[in-house]
Amino acid sequence: MSKQSERRVILETRDIVKQFPRVLANNRISIKLHENEILSLLGENGAGKSTLMNILYGLYTPTSGSIHLNGEEVQFHSPKDAIEKGLGMVHQHFMLVDPLTVTENIILGAEPGKGGTIDYKQARKEVVELSEKYGLHVNPDAPVETLSVGIQQRVEILKALYRQAKILILDEPTAVLTPQEVDELFQVISELRKGGVSIIIITHKLEEVKAISDRVYILRGGEMVGERITADTTTAQLANLMVGRDVVLTVEKKEKKAGDSPVFQIEDLRVLNIKKFPAVDGLSLEVKPGEIVGIAGVDGNGQSELAEAIMGLLPVENGKISHLGEDITQLTTKQRISRSISYVPSDRQRFGLVLPMTIGENIMMGYHDRPPNSKGLRLNYSYINSHAEELSKSFDIRTPDVQNPAGKLSGGNQQKVILAREFSRDPTFLLVSQPTRGLDVGAIEYIHSQILAMRDNNVGILLISLELEEIFSLSDRILVLYEGKIVKEFKPEETTDKQVGFYMTGGKE
Amino acid sequence: MDLKKLKPVFLAVIIVFAVVGVTLYMGTYFSGLLFILLALVLYAAFRYYYDGKEVLISLLKKGLQGLMVPVIGIVIAIIIGAVVMLISNYDPVAAYKALFYGAFVRNWHISVLNAAPLMFTGLSVALAFHAGLFNIGAEGQYYIGAMAATYLGLYVKLPPFLSLALIFILAGLLASAWNIIPAVLKVRTGAHEVITTMMFAHIARYLSPIFIRANGGDPATSTHAYVTTELPESNWLPRFNAFLPDANYRLHVGILIGIVVALLVYYLLYYTKVGFEIRAVGENKDAARAQGISIGRSILIALLIAGFLAGLAGVNQVVGLDHKLYQNLDANYGWNGISVALLAGSHPIGVIFTALLWGALDAGGQYMARVTQTSNSIVEIIKGIILFLVVAKYIYAYVGNRIRRARKKRRAEAKEAV
Repeated sequence: MSKQSERRVILETRDIVKQFPRVLANNRISIKLHENEILSLLGENGAGKSTLMNILYGLYTPTSGSIHLNGEEVQFHSPKDAIEKGLGMVHQHFMLVDPLTVTENIILGAEPGKGGTIDYKQARKEVVELSEKYGLHVNPDAPVETLSVGIQQRVEILKALYRQAKILILDEPTAVLTPQEVDELFQVISELRKGGVSIIIITHKLEEVKAISDRVYILRGGEMVGERITADTTTAQLANLMVGRDVVLTVEKKEKKAGDSPVFQIEDLRVLNIKKFPAVDGLSLEVKPGEIVGIAGVDGNGQSELAEAIMGLLPVENGKISHLGEDITQLTTKQRISRSISYVPSDRQRFGLVLPMTIGENIMMGYHDRPPNSKGLRLNYSYINSHAEELSKSFDIRTPDVQNPAGKLSGGNQQKVILAREFSRDPTFLLVSQPTRGLDVGAIEYIHSQILAMRDNNVGILLISLELEEIFSLSDRILVLYEGKIVKEFKPEETTDKQVGFYMTGGKE
Repeated sequence: MDLKKLKPVFLAVIIVFAVVGVTLYMGTYFSGLLFILLALVLYAAFRYYYDGKEVLISLLKKGLQGLMVPVIGIVIAIIIGAVVMLISNYDPVAAYKALFYGAFVRNWHISVLNAAPLMFTGLSVALAFHAGLFNIGAEGQYYIGAMAATYLGLYVKLPPFLSLALIFILAGLLASAWNIIPAVLKVRTGAHEVITTMMFAHIARYLSPIFIRANGGDPATSTHAYVTTELPESNWLPRFNAFLPDANYRLHVGILIGIVVALLVYYLLYYTKVGFEIRAVGENKDAARAQGISIGRSILIALLIAGFLAGLAGVNQVVGLDHKLYQNLDANYGWNGISVALLAGSHPIGVIFTALLWGALDAGGQYMARVTQTSNSIVEIIKGIILFLVVAKYIYAYVGNRIRRARKKRRAEAKEAV
C-alpha cells in the first residue's frame, strides 16, 4: 500500500476542534483524503463523525483548526461555499422533493437557462449524460416519490455530481438499503472512483468499511483513536478500537424450545394507512411463548401499520387478533396494555417517551392509573421515583436523578427507559419494533441480551426490524413482509441474508 | 428531642404564617409582607433541616432561574418605556415614581381588584396550554360565568355562604358547558379550538346586552338601560373591611379565592392522574396514546376545566365587585388572561404573580396618568414589551450563546498569546 502515500492529498483537516456547550465533539482531529481514494470514518454514535463532516461541509464552524483543499487553506461559511469548492454530501435522510421528477430534483438550485427560465431540455440531457458516465441508471422523468430508496440515493449522488463534486461525503449510506441495494451502491462507488471522485463514507458498520474502503479512521468520544489500511486489519480489531473494549459481535443465543400453544395470533389482518390504502393486507402469523419471530422487510411495507394495529392505535379493517386465546381485536390500547401486552415502538422519541417528563413519570406512564403508582386521584410520587430508581439500576439507565427529564438522556439510555417500563410489567407477549435504531454497539449488545432474556423467560416476542443482521441474530423464525403480506418463512440457520433480501424486495420463486 | 415528629407542626406553623401574611397583604395591610417573608425563611429552614443543603440549594437555583427571564424582561421594558417617554417629552422619573407608588402603595387595592379576574382567566388559559390547547375563548366563558352569577345571585335565596358556593359552582359549570361544543368538535373532527372558542366567545359577549335587558336593564322600567338589578347583599362576596377595618370598602376576598384555585390547579396538574394525562397529551400525543391514555378524554377534560376557571372570573366580578352586571364589552379579562398565562410560562403558581403584576400596572398607569398627565398608553407599551421579551425566550438562548462564544474565543486567544 505504499502507493497510498504517493497519491496527492486533496482534502485535509488539521487539528479540528469543535466545542459545543458542555460537549467536546471533536478534539484535534486531523485527517487526510488522497485523490481517488475511498476513505471510511468509523465510530459509534456520538463519536464525532457527523460533526466533523458537517464542519467539512460548511454547516458548522470549527472552534479551532483548519481545512485545506489541494494544499490551500479554505474556510466554509455555509454548504454553498463547500459545494462551490467541489464538495458534495449525501445525507442519511434524503433531501429530495417527492413530487418533482428526478431531473427537476437534480437541477434544483442550479438550474440551467437564461434569466428566469429553465432550459429543461438541456437539463435532461446533462442528467442523462451524467448518469451514463458513472453508471448511475435512473429514469430522468420519474417522480421521486415513485422510486425505491436505493434509487433515490442515486438521485442524491447525481445531485452532488451535477454540481461538479470532486469529493463526495456519504453519511451512513447503507442504513436504509436492502442487501442487494448495498451491493449496487458499492458498485456505484467503485465507478465513481474510476471517474475521478474521491469518497468519504461515514459509518458505524464494520462490514461496510471492510467491503469498500481503502483506508479507515476510527473516532471515539470526539478523539481520533486510530488509522488503518483496511486490507491490513480485521473487523474484530476495528470493533475494539471503535468501542474501546472487547465486544461480542453476536449475542449468544441459547437453544430453547418454544411452547406449543401460541400466545399471540393474527388471522387475515387488513389495516388501512392514513391515505386509506391497505398497508397490511391478508396477514397471518402466530407467536409461541419463548420464541422470537422476526419480521424482515424493507421500510414502508406495512411494518408501522402492523405494529399500530396490534396495539390498537390503528383500526382493524378486517381480520382477527388474539392474545392467550381471546379475541382482542376490538379492545382499546389501555385494555391491551393491561393484558400483559408490551410494546417497544420504533420511534422512541415520538411514540415511546414524553421527553419533557421525568424518567419516573415515563416509566409509570400507562400504569399510572393503578396502585401502587396512584391511590384514588393522587399520584404516589415517592413510590414512582423509588421504583424508577430500582429499575434504572437493573436496566443500567445512566442518569444522576430519575427526576430529570427523559429528553436529557442519550438515545441508548432513552431506549433503556422504555425497556425498563415494558419489560418490568411481566409481559406474556412483547412487540418490539426497531429496538436498536440509531444506537451504538454497546447499547445494541445490551438491548439484544435483554430481549433474549425475555425469550428465555417464556415471553412470546414479535420483532420488527429493518436491520437484517438484527433479525438474524435474534430470531427463532423469520417472516418476510412484503407489501403488507407475509411472503415467506425461514429458519435463520437455513437461509442467508441474500435469500431473505430477495423476498423482501418482491422476488418470487 | 425528636424533631422528626414535629414535622407536621412545623409545616402547619409555616402555612399559618403564609395564610395570615397573604390575607393581610391582599387586604392592603403591608405588615403582611413580614409574615410572608417569615414564612419563606421558615420554609427554607424547614427544607434545609429535613431534606438537606443540596435540596434547598437546587430549589433556590430553580426559583432564581425561573425568575431570571421575567425580571430581565421587566427591567428592559421599563428602560424602553423611559426612552419612549423621553422622546415624547414626558418626565420618566416622575412618571415611574407615580406608576410604582400608585400600583404598589397608594392604589394597591385597585391592583388587587384588577388582578382577581385575571388570575382566573390566566389559570384557564394556562391549564389549556398544558394540554396543548389554546383556550382563546376565555373571554366568552367569562361572560357566561358573569351572566350565570347575576341570574343566580338575583333569584337564589339560601343561607349566605351556601348560596355563594352554589353560585360559584353552578356558574362555573355553565361556563364550562359553553366549551362542550368546541371540545367535542375538536375531539371528533379536529376543528381547531382557536377558531371555535373564539366564535363562541363572540356569541357569549353579545348575549350579555340581551341578558341585561331581560334582568332589570329594561329602559322602560329601569333608570339605567345598561345594567341589571343589584344582587341582594346576602349574595355578595365578603369584603376585607369586615375583618380588616382599614381596608378599602370595595376590596373583596375574590383574590384569596383566586390564589386558592391557583394552588388547586397546580395540585391537579402535577399530583393527580388527570393532570398527568393532560400534561402527557400536551407534550406528546403519540406517546400518550401508545400508553393507553385517551387523547379525546384529556382534551375534553382540559377544555371543560378551562371553561370553569374562566367562568369563575365572571362570577368574581359580579358577586365580588359590581354586584350587578354592566354592559361592558371591553373588559377584556379573557384576552388579558392569555398574556397573564404566557408571562407565567403556564405555571399556575406563576399566574398568581403575573396576574398581580398586570393588575398593578393597570392601577399604577391610571394613577400615573392622573398625577403626572403622562399618557396611560405607556403602560400598554411596557406590557407589550414585557410579554414579547418573556415569550420570545429564544432571544436569551441566542444572546447567551453569543456571550459564551465570545468569552471562549477571548480565552483561547489569551492562551495563544502566552
